[in-house]
Amino acid sequence: MGVHTYVAAAHPNIVVAPPTSVGRILMRRVAIVGAGWAGFRPQVPELSFRELVYEAASRAYEEAGVDPRSDVDAFVSCQEDYWEGIAIADEFAPEPLGAVLRPTYTVAGDGLQGLAQAFMMIRSGAFDVVVVEAHAKPSDIVTLDGIYELALDPLHVRPLRPGNPLFTAGLDAVAYMARTGASRLHLAMVAAANKRMGLSNPRAPHAARVTVDDVLESPTYIYPMSQLEVAPFTDAAVVMVLASDEAARRLTDAPVWLDGVGWATEVGTGAVEFHEWGRMPSIRAAALMAYQMAGVDSPASQTGFAEVEDRFSFMELLALEELGVAGEGEAAAMLERGDLAPGAFYPVNQSGGSLSVGVPLEATGLWRALEAYLELRDNSGAYDQPRAVVASWRGPPTYTSAVAVLSAV
Amino acid sequence: MAWKRWRIEEVIHYPGSQEVEKYVYTPGIHGLELAKALREGRVLGMKCPDGVYVPPKTYCPDGSPGELVEVRGPWRVVTYTLVHQDIYGNPLPEPEALALIRPDDADYGGLIHRVRAESIYIGMEVKPRWKPPKQRSGQITDIEYFEPA
Repeated sequence: MGVHTYVAAAHPNIVVAPPTSVGRILMRRVAIVGAGWAGFRPQVPELSFRELVYEAASRAYEEAGVDPRSDVDAFVSCQEDYWEGIAIADEFAPEPLGAVLRPTYTVAGDGLQGLAQAFMMIRSGAFDVVVVEAHAKPSDIVTLDGIYELALDPLHVRPLRPGNPLFTAGLDAVAYMARTGASRLHLAMVAAANKRMGLSNPRAPHAARVTVDDVLESPTYIYPMSQLEVAPFTDAAVVMVLASDEAARRLTDAPVWLDGVGWATEVGTGAVEFHEWGRMPSIRAAALMAYQMAGVDSPASQTGFAEVEDRFSFMELLALEELGVAGEGEAAAMLERGDLAPGAFYPVNQSGGSLSVGVPLEATGLWRALEAYLELRDNSGAYDQPRAVVASWRGPPTYTSAVAVLSAV
Repeated sequence: MAWKRWRIEEVIHYPGSQEVEKYVYTPGIHGLELAKALREGRVLGMKCPDGVYVPPKTYCPDGSPGELVEVRGPWRVVTYTLVHQDIYGNPLPEPEALALIRPDDADYGGLIHRVRAESIYIGMEVKPRWKPPKQRSGQITDIEYFEPA
């Protein structure tokens, strides 16, 4: 099944760019040569968000063997003022990264979008080494519900004052289940599996030995999902060092390549009613873009594993279908067969996913890329196809997603 | 001594707040027409090249200008959810049923609104319960909720 066929068949609204327009920019390869992280706890009371970034950056520079003052050409910081509680918060970006008086760019979005930005900067030939940073300190936000409420369309949704501003996830989950026949049991299986897999991940404070019954019996949060099917929030910072192929070969013997990136926004939250309920066309469009760059036609056979969106249990199954890893409505059957487990046909969210690690706001996508990077760096021999798909959604009420393809070869 | 015993009670937090309550939002061209219609107990959509969208947003998803049209229903539940807990996991006094409700004479979108019914399912026919005319203000809450038709 070609990428064009799989996208065009299900989503006539997605405009598929001719491959030549992407092919022309296949100039230099981009590698991840170092990564660092800090936090990954529900609350990090001893550090400010800037110190979290500083710690993650120090680790990334140590691994990459770079001095940010002399070896890094540009920096990308991903953040949103409302999450920081600081207006013009991008002005806080340079110092913790060692980026004072150096080109620094802000992406007001998910860290995976920042990774795409850095990818383009290197591909353009203007920069050789670019650092990407994303961080989150939700424990500092006393009225998180108020920020999510303020994100709702002020004309037609916010005046309803829904009891939980994340409710749109329930609308998508019910529509997804009705269309595909996936059951509450399947959703609970996702949650139980991810929470257990996270037990071996040092970044997974919400991992737990829970059974499918535990998940089903936990109180309902937003129907059809119980409390254990919704990822809690996490404080964290992630920093990655990216380099052109020439620079990467100078810095490391074993680079992990970033072979494709994509991102898309469906109807925004200003027209959330127009969303295709129970689908995620933004993941599909982002995947198409990333697959075209990476030369991936059939992700399940040309890549070895994936780290995908799972801040709500149903999203893992929906993401796998929109990514083309599972056929339309077939993700639940793959889960039942055990195809998605570690060591099986196509392991998914071996890190434990967001259900174990949590949601570090705009750092969520960059953290998923971090998990794929670490697995490819340390364990690529375990895969016939040592490549990974990373897919992250920006979460409700947005319909923005980003996808990356990483490769150890 | 460089090493100091550290206790969580010693952490100082600096309180802060944002002036988030002081905005006015301009409804815009279609938004204003919809507001006027809501006061009259009517709902508008917009005609786009590929069909009718609700609510009207002046321009269509494909970028072309939308043409205002009235939609009359009947209204149907496209998808729904039941909100049991707030974002922090505190139970709400009563679970809230929220739904995307589309009139049969529209092709895309609909209204996100509350539904009051014994049970709720996809495809269920519902109708808007309007506030008395004098209490309407041109907001989506001029419809109190949707109820079984």
